[in-house]
Amino acid sequence: MKINDNCVGCGQCASFCKQGAIEVKGKAKATAACVECGICYFYCPVKAIEVSP
Amino acid sequence: MKAIIIGAGLGGLLSAARLSQAGYQVDVFERLPITGGRFTNLNYKGFQLSSGALHMLPHGPSGPLAQLLKEVKADVRIVRSDKATIRMPLKMSRPDYGKGFKDIYFNDFFTPLSHRDRMKIALLIVSTRKSRPTGSTVNAWIRTQFKDEWLVRFADSFCGWSLSLKSDSVPVEELFEIIENMYRFGGTGIPIGGCKGVIDALEAVIASNGGRIYTKTEVSKILVENGRAAGVVVGDKTYEANLIISNLGHAATACLCSEALSEKTYSSYLKMLENLQPSAGIKICLAADEPLVGHSGVLLTPYAKRVNGINEVTHVDPKLAPPGKHLTISHQYVAPENVKNLEAEIELGLNDLKEIFPGKKYEVLLIQSYHDDWPVNRTASGMDPGNETPIPELYVVGDGAKGKGGIEVEGVALGVAATMKKILC
Repeated sequence: MKINDNCVGCGQCASFCKQGAIEVKGKAKATAACVECGICYFYCPVKAIEVSP
Repeated sequence: MKAIIIGAGLGGLLSAARLSQAGYQVDVFERLPITGGRFTNLNYKGFQLSSGALHMLPHGPSGPLAQLLKEVKADVRIVRSDKATIRMPLKMSRPDYGKGFKDIYFNDFFTPLSHRDRMKIALLIVSTRKSRPTGSTVNAWIRTQFKDEWLVRFADSFCGWSLSLKSDSVPVEELFEIIENMYRFGGTGIPIGGCKGVIDALEAVIASNGGRIYTKTEVSKILVENGRAAGVVVGDKTYEANLIISNLGHAATACLCSEALSEKTYSSYLKMLENLQPSAGIKICLAADEPLVGHSGVLLTPYAKRVNGINEVTHVDPKLAPPGKHLTISHQYVAPENVKNLEAEIELGLNDLKEIFPGKKYEVLLIQSYHDDWPVNRTASGMDPGNETPIPELYVVGDGAKGKGGIEVEGVALGVAATMKKILC
């Protein structure tokens, strides 16, 4: 999963991540716990998350 | 009559509730899987954080939002907060909290002033109600009246907390409309269930009136026929309507009907949109076993470097946190030039919290920032261009089209109420 420059750091993705794998500080960042499930993609309000196919 | 609402944020759902109550057949289209926009709850580690707003209504149970909720028969309880307080340095000669502090009530904001300035405030409170100051910013107006730096700090803290702006970018007219609204409607309140308590109640109203809400449904175009709004496009489907309400702000709404707006007659509207600026801010959510603020009102922190104010909503609704825990949320304004330095701004905010709550134990749950396309307000307070667009039957509501003197969601409610008056009368 890649987070592009659209990210504002609102943390919405972190609250829906079941793995607790997103850290947010000005921008979101996926940690090693990310399993590429892609759930966060749907909840991002600014289309900042790109999930690898 | 059929109405389509684009966006299920607070403004969209308020409009949907009111229109469905008035007999419109209402469809709400929401791009995300959740409703509520920046006014709903986010479940995080057992805490009900919020997607934007701070679980607080600026004018509580008697404000414009509460009134509109009552009008549409939304079942939500709003509890008036305790009195707001202001954290002052122990010694005014040292303008920070490093050597201790004392809290005073918001209504006693004039007590740090000289005797002469206090007299002046008393006179201004009377005279400005009769003839309101105009034509400058809050900051510039204060400086024409007083030499005291405290009032500027106080104004910056208040504007930062309530509008996510600095006092030098708030029109003085907006501040005096806000003060008038404080007389009219009183202070803050907390909805039981937080922001989502309001959203759930509105959805129940919409459903009982036969309205429908579609999530994961993105509108790609607003159809304009014979110069009037006539429907929307979702995927490869067209939906016709007599009325379209957009909750997306003026600029994003204009993008959805850019072809229709490309005609020359609309150029002044498009030019006006270019000047609209969103406001930016940072919210730090804290978890604590013992109360940090100690009451349900706002704690303003004018002597912090960045943090403008803090609230602790669990005094009113303990269910917003796990049993025995408190949820404490700070807000800080971010200047446009500092949006690119968010990490540094966040560090300054975290340091402020250490100074504001020395010796207290707390955990930083989540740090949330808002700017550009997901801002604090899509249009900075005092600059809102109204709810109408140049296209008949197309209106804009939400935080990009707030009513005058309406802080945050109160402004959203005032904008929706004004729009409904135009449509339904």
